[in-house]
Amino acid sequence: MTHNPYSNPPHSTTPILDRRAALSCMGWLGAGTLFTFSGGIASVMGTGAAEAATGHAPISFVQISDTHVGFSKPANPDPVATLRETIAHVRALPRTPDFIVHTGDVTHLATPEQFDHARQLLAELPAPTFFIPGEHDLAGGSDPRPFLTAFGKETRGDGWFSFDLHGVHVIGLVNVVRLGDHGQGTLGRDQLDWLKADLAGLSASTPIVLIAHFPLWGLYPEWGWGTSDAAEAFGYLARFGSVTALNGHIHQIQRHLEGKVQFHTARSTAYPQPAPGQGPGPGPLALPAEQLRSAIGYSSAEVRHAPSPLAITDATLA
Amino acid sequence: MRLRLAALAGATTVLVAATEIPSPSSGDAANGARLYQACMGCHSIEENDIGPSHRGVVGRSAGTVPGYAYSPAIKGSGLVWTPANLDKWLTDPQVLVPGTKMYFSVSDPRERADIIAFLASQK
Repeated sequence: MTHNPYSNPPHSTTPILDRRAALSCMGWLGAGTLFTFSGGIASVMGTGAAEAATGHAPISFVQISDTHVGFSKPANPDPVATLRETIAHVRALPRTPDFIVHTGDVTHLATPEQFDHARQLLAELPAPTFFIPGEHDLAGGSDPRPFLTAFGKETRGDGWFSFDLHGVHVIGLVNVVRLGDHGQGTLGRDQLDWLKADLAGLSASTPIVLIAHFPLWGLYPEWGWGTSDAAEAFGYLARFGSVTALNGHIHQIQRHLEGKVQFHTARSTAYPQPAPGQGPGPGPLALPAEQLRSAIGYSSAEVRHAPSPLAITDATLA
Repeated sequence: MRLRLAALAGATTVLVAATEIPSPSSGDAANGARLYQACMGCHSIEENDIGPSHRGVVGRSAGTVPGYAYSPAIKGSGLVWTPANLDKWLTDPQVLVPGTKMYFSVSDPRERADIIAFLASQK
């Protein structure tokens, strides 16, 4: 059985860590977010208990986001270095993830050189990696095709996709290509129709994991931090017992629970942004250099199939 | 009765507001500064990023900020960023300059006027 310092009784939302276990895991816990799902809802059950209860092997995955390859401003003069650190942390995880998702803004300005550099860097990740574009990845402002050539060859439309792994249905959504009012994201008619059809054959007990770049809930629409037509998508998802929606874009941890849907926003590997509504507006937040690694990181998730509550732990590169 | 009057007064206000077309040069710069926060995913006053910097944009010729990689469409547009042109631009940039990188729009004429007033104050 994989060593799991978070082994915990079922139905507990607080991981129990003894000091030795806590210290032994800080090397990677300190670098990101640990969140575990069961039936698409997070679990901190021991691996064996979850598997015995459901007959499904748990799967784990990592979310990285907003790597901004090509960025170079005071908020992080060297985001390539912090991406390399992040990749080293992911490679050092006690269990190799089954897959990795990148929730967009792979590059800063979507140039061919930045796409090439990002591909070289991200090739060091230890598992198959699935990408969706952020608005920074659109060539000429709104064209996702060069990004898709580099990172999304087997996707549909503007880059949306889905796949199944051990009973979990993962859906990549693209909400950055056509903007709504105040710069919020949109999914658009074609993608919504595709989503409806994609979900049609699934059992309501199937755990659903959504990934997108802009938040899929109205986190702070005044800064464009939302998706104006997401309500229709969640209408199609209403019959499912477990839906988890992960996004990037805002470079900080934000969580939101709406009905049965758990929303979670990941940190960037490059630089933080201000909290919603704080300061003059969204954009790179320059911290004292020694504080940067406390504000960037990644997330790792374990999907289990036994009913148990959601537990999410967030940490950083520091 | 008081409630009915209040409802009527509200309806009248909406009707008047709907028939007023704000001039692009008559906006509220303070409210524009607040609305401009939605533009800051791509722009700032001082620095080029996804979009060019905005210091001095009102009155400037389009496609002329040093160091910004403009689309051929905007470089060849011949536009000057007058308040009237900025109003058309914010209404739908892809209609004003097909092929431009800009794809953010503001549907409310009052909000466009306020944003333009804010930009005009950033000389």
